[in-house]
Amino acid sequence: MKVVGVAVLMAVLLAGCLALGQPKYIVLSDIAWAPFEWVSEKGAYLGFDLDVMRAIAILEGFEIELRDTPFDSIIPAIIAGRGDIGASGFTITEERALVINFSEAYWDSNQAVVVRAGSGLDLDMVASPGRLVGAQRGTTGSFWIEDEWVPLGVTLVEYETYPEAILDLLAGRIDGIVQDVDPSKMAVLQYKGQIEIAGVVDTGEQFGFLVAKDDPKELLPRIHRGVATLKDLGVWDLLIEAYFGPSLGAIESAWEKCIDILLVDRDPLRYAQCLTAELRP
Amino acid sequence: MDLSVWTEVAPHVPVLLRGLLVNIQLLLGLISLGLVVGVVTALIEVYAPRPVGIVAGAYTWFFRGVPEIVLLFLFYFGLSQFGVPVSAFFAAVLALGLRSSAYQAQIFRGAFQSIPHGQMMAARALGLGRLRAIVHVVLPQALRLSLAGWSNEFSSVLKDTTLAWGIGVVEIMRQASYIRARNFTLTLPIYVTVALMFLVLTYVGNLAIGLAERKLRVPGLEGQR
Amino acid sequence: MALLRVENLHKRYGHEEVLKGVTLAQDAGETKVVIGPSGTGKSTLLRCINRLTEPDQGRVWLEDTEITSRRTDINRVRAKIGFVFQDFNLFTHLTSLDNVRLGLMKVRGMPRAAATGRAMAELERVGLAAKANAYPAQLSGGQQQRVSIARALAMDPKLILFDEPTSALDPELIGEVLSVMIQLARDGMTMIVVTHEMGFARSVADEIVFMEGGVIVEQGTPDKMFRSPEVPRTGEFLRKISDLYGESR
Repeated sequence: MKVVGVAVLMAVLLAGCLALGQPKYIVLSDIAWAPFEWVSEKGAYLGFDLDVMRAIAILEGFEIELRDTPFDSIIPAIIAGRGDIGASGFTITEERALVINFSEAYWDSNQAVVVRAGSGLDLDMVASPGRLVGAQRGTTGSFWIEDEWVPLGVTLVEYETYPEAILDLLAGRIDGIVQDVDPSKMAVLQYKGQIEIAGVVDTGEQFGFLVAKDDPKELLPRIHRGVATLKDLGVWDLLIEAYFGPSLGAIESAWEKCIDILLVDRDPLRYAQCLTAELRP
Repeated sequence: MDLSVWTEVAPHVPVLLRGLLVNIQLLLGLISLGLVVGVVTALIEVYAPRPVGIVAGAYTWFFRGVPEIVLLFLFYFGLSQFGVPVSAFFAAVLALGLRSSAYQAQIFRGAFQSIPHGQMMAARALGLGRLRAIVHVVLPQALRLSLAGWSNEFSSVLKDTTLAWGIGVVEIMRQASYIRARNFTLTLPIYVTVALMFLVLTYVGNLAIGLAERKLRVPGLEGQR
Repeated sequence: MALLRVENLHKRYGHEEVLKGVTLAQDAGETKVVIGPSGTGKSTLLRCINRLTEPDQGRVWLEDTEITSRRTDINRVRAKIGFVFQDFNLFTHLTSLDNVRLGLMKVRGMPRAAATGRAMAELERVGLAAKANAYPAQLSGGQQQRVSIARALAMDPKLILFDEPTSALDPELIGEVLSVMIQLARDGMTMIVVTHEMGFARSVADEIVFMEGGVIVEQGTPDKMFRSPEVPRTGEFLRKISDLYGESR
């Protein structure tokens, strides 16, 4: 009787630890920026940033809730206490660091300059007087143009989204677009033969995750430890291989096949191996 | 835009419709809130003692003067600063609904003012109190006169619901951006589809209001368009 | 005791004093006609009686209720005093039937069926049962005024105040309204009628009150007022008004 009672008690406690014992943090991301984060055709949230956050949560023993949030609202939301972690390809800048705290950089992001295929423009020709160059509002691309190219006589044209900028580029209304290298490569793949990369600007720019100022919930140490573990295990490189290169459709079907290994079995390594295995020809 | 693009759009239509359903929910919530608060505000502006009327006037001035997106931010982020963590959906209904109430108050105020004073006098002479005279005599007439202006407001707030993404409500524009993020080439056709959906919804909504207008129409009380 | 007593009523609009101390008494069943040049406070007097206009000074009693007292529930008093307006003021959004029924249901709390019966009876009385489902905009001015009389009658008023009930009507429509009013007077309804219709005054009034400049100049039976007024100004006015409007009706 007593033994059964203790066993029941322990079982209840264990279940309680699993369900309630883990703290839950809200992760904010603007989930429309493949391959870092996007929504699959079936409505699932996936992408490099999001899988990294999921894996870190498993390794560090906390729960996360992903919440799709407009990019411009993520920092205000974290300041207002409406979210705990920002994982949305945030470039580390001094201005942002004044109001929130960044993790150590997890990604080097240089800026590609995309032009119309066959336009014959190279980097120097795009960055010359009279050129109209587009960028997504509020991104490093637009800050780069503003700071480095506008003084050279370039006119900055800002867009709400990257695809809108591409439409204008195709229509001949602008001469080039400055955007992160990976999304740019993806766009070139999708608009095969219509646009090409004229060159890459080394901005020395890096991405970080972000948390509230002074990290009151002590999340940064856990994020850092989590990233380090992922790199040690080899998960990190496998995720890069899976997410940067294959078509989004292929990633989505591989992800669907493998995601339970991460979410149910809670095994990041086997998950990443599954993904890359699915995606290898 | 070549035709094959549309066969690519077709599979995304259910997702867009799911987003549109959220816009419709936003619309119903905000326009009902706007209706109730709008009527009360208009009543206060027209019938309440001057100091109270001035407060109501300031209220409509504020909500008409501040851009929608700013209101959304104020309600979503602002309320949580005061320890009221409203959901994005609720904040959107509140912000857009109160904004709409300010515009609806204008419509109703004009209608109230256009009801001849004799109507109120006759109701009071029968022994109806002021509030009951308003409810039984002034309001039914004013609401009929307001329907035309109200259908404009309906079309306008329907479109405003697309701003709710600004604070993270996943509605049709957001669903569109999900699709766009996966497939840049569909950008234009997806937005054409969204536009069509809104056109249809506006048409159906105005049709319903038109039917209601015809059903409620009384000789001598035709509203002006 | 008189049904209605008005004591020393004063009303001022800005600099202009419209009522300068009016006193009168009215018995049950009596028909009083108030005449006088425009702008002499006749309408204001009627509106002060049921406080649609607040008097500045003076008192009004309906039987032993002081209408002008702050403690009086004015809505209860108004329910007992019918008011017929110059421009009818029928509720635009309601049919004739609903116009008559509204007060019964919303003020007297009568159930719908009973209110309908009563309202139809009153419409019958003014000869408009056939127009029960017509909206005001579908009725002639004379018909509208008859519905508005039915609306007042339905409330079982102790007294009906008529404020120039035929002044807004085309001449050919005046007769139908007057004949309803004449019948009411003969049935013993207590009425105060502000009008220029001298024929009506002469044939129905128990008393004619001549007002000018915010005061009652003279009052008396039609016989006395038309034949041998004490104040010269009364005779002068009556001759002028009879020339203008005729009294053949």
